[in-house]
Amino acid sequence: MDNTLIRMESLCRFYEMGDQTVKALDNIDLSFNRNEYVAIMGPSGSGKSTLMNIIGCLDTPSSGTYELNGQSVSGMDDDELARIRNREIGFVFQTFNLLPRLDCLRNVELPLIYAGIDAEERFDRALDALERVGLGDRVNHKPSELSGGQIQRVAIARALINNPSLILADEPTGNLDTSTSRDIMTIFSELSEAGNTIILITHEEDIAQYTRRFIRLRDGKIESDTHAPILE
Amino acid sequence: MKLRETVIQAAYSLRANKLRSWLTTMGVAVGVFSIIAVMTALQAVDRSVASGLSSLGSNTFEIQKYPATFFGGHGRSRFINRPDITYEEGLAFKNLMGKKVDRIGLKVSRSGNQAIYANRSTNPDITLFGADENFASANGFDIENGRNLVKNDIRFSRNVAIIGRDVLNTLFPGGENPVEKQIKVNGKLYRIIGVFMNKGAAFGQSQDNLIVIPITRYLAHIDIKKSISVTVEAASQKEYQATIDQAIGAMRIARGLTIKDPSNFELRTNEALVESFREFQRTISVGAFIISFMALVTAGVGIMNIMLVSVTERTKEIGVRKSVGAPRKSIMRQFLLEALFLSLTGGVIGIVVGASAGNIVAVAFNLPPILPLAWIIISIAVCSGIGIIFGLFPAYRAANLNPVDALRTGK
Repeated sequence: MDNTLIRMESLCRFYEMGDQTVKALDNIDLSFNRNEYVAIMGPSGSGKSTLMNIIGCLDTPSSGTYELNGQSVSGMDDDELARIRNREIGFVFQTFNLLPRLDCLRNVELPLIYAGIDAEERFDRALDALERVGLGDRVNHKPSELSGGQIQRVAIARALINNPSLILADEPTGNLDTSTSRDIMTIFSELSEAGNTIILITHEEDIAQYTRRFIRLRDGKIESDTHAPILE
Repeated sequence: MKLRETVIQAAYSLRANKLRSWLTTMGVAVGVFSIIAVMTALQAVDRSVASGLSSLGSNTFEIQKYPATFFGGHGRSRFINRPDITYEEGLAFKNLMGKKVDRIGLKVSRSGNQAIYANRSTNPDITLFGADENFASANGFDIENGRNLVKNDIRFSRNVAIIGRDVLNTLFPGGENPVEKQIKVNGKLYRIIGVFMNKGAAFGQSQDNLIVIPITRYLAHIDIKKSISVTVEAASQKEYQATIDQAIGAMRIARGLTIKDPSNFELRTNEALVESFREFQRTISVGAFIISFMALVTAGVGIMNIMLVSVTERTKEIGVRKSVGAPRKSIMRQFLLEALFLSLTGGVIGIVVGASAGNIVAVAFNLPPILPLAWIIISIAVCSGIGIIFGLFPAYRAANLNPVDALRTGK
């Protein structure tokens, strides 16, 4: 079986800014295998957010091909993209992006609601996911009653709940202190060891060091793509 | 996403903005309230209109100088120069009608009279009638106690009186037999010969606050120059219309009109009264409908406004929902349902409060309370329509937000 999860070929994303065309991504060729743990790095304006949006099927490329799990995403409409996001991708955001009015359980089960799973199964799976991130005793708390680290763990539980092919984390520790960041990165490492594919967008070197492959972007182009030495 | 889930999500959002949701709801409630309250009141009153307005007995009509324009806008001025219908004309009319007609009553009246017995007195709000022996049957009264007027009472202008139930209750509260007692009306003495049976109220006004004396005595002692009215009772429903035609002819002769003169008197029938009430009812209904319609459109614009604010405020939430896989359809449905919730809640409040207010009118008129079912159904339908129509644009806007931009917003 093909072990490639994501394949991008001469992928471009342009923005029209007035009469100027900004090349946010310029001819990207990139592929990821299953169970890879990758950090995408670069200074702001390097195109890493645009790349994340395209990998996460929130946006489509201006040209080139993007295949996720063997499906070509390039020509999909909004609802098809929504379905792909729902099934294939778990997002973890820098700003957490939980719904403040819902408790942890309802936040975590949200993707399953849109997947059409019935209430009982949703409850079981959401509880399970919260227990996996160590929040089994906080299920009925609202995000405002939790610490930043706990909130991000709820968000990770939400990302895990639909057993996605890919976990996409955008600066997941950007709003957390150092020790909490370490806890969160430990969870990601465990998830990686459990067989998940994780792509991390970050500009912090020490966070990137948790991963095993580093892709550096600059001005919409890949500057370097290196693998961590295999540790014995 | 299943409908049940959408409903739950919508309920969550509305609960989060309780005050705002309630205020928006009120707009719809006011619109629905006005139509339901008016319709309830009209329908409640309507039931009693046929009986209430039919103060005349069955198969009976009245001939008067003035038309019975209870609800219309015609001024009296058009009719004031007509000659009065005199007692003599009434008698002549009676002769001309002959035996064909069952009963012909002549009467005259004035309001604002006070009656006194012993140390008790009524309010000065009694209607005093001068009439003949046909008054009771022509006006749907029965004698409860004592006797009716007889021909000789009229011929000799006797100072006798029949009193209504309200007068009885005020002047003889202890259950004392009033017959043969002397009462004073506007300073003049009358001997009570009978009491009318209770007739009840029409339009909140008692029909039992009256005293009847012989018309000859009335015209001699109280008001010499006063236009009388003639009550005619046809022998049967079959002869009713023919009797009306005959009466018009007879009255024209009695009044000395030539063939070229227009009739200078008016006919008052139960049907005409009910019809004029129906016209009044239609006018009010149309007015209430227009007001409600405008209020509901305003409320709808309010809902749209709030929903647009809501979409803007919750751009981030929409972004999050989209990022975890919400298709356009379910975002759209969520916002539409919220709008529908707002308008329907307002509608239900309007219906409950409006029906209650309308029934207060019913109770005030001593009528049984009613539920205007047809209007309730219409209101629910209109509210649903308003929720959907005015929710559509905000929902569409929410559903088509770009997830990347939505997630990037600050809130």
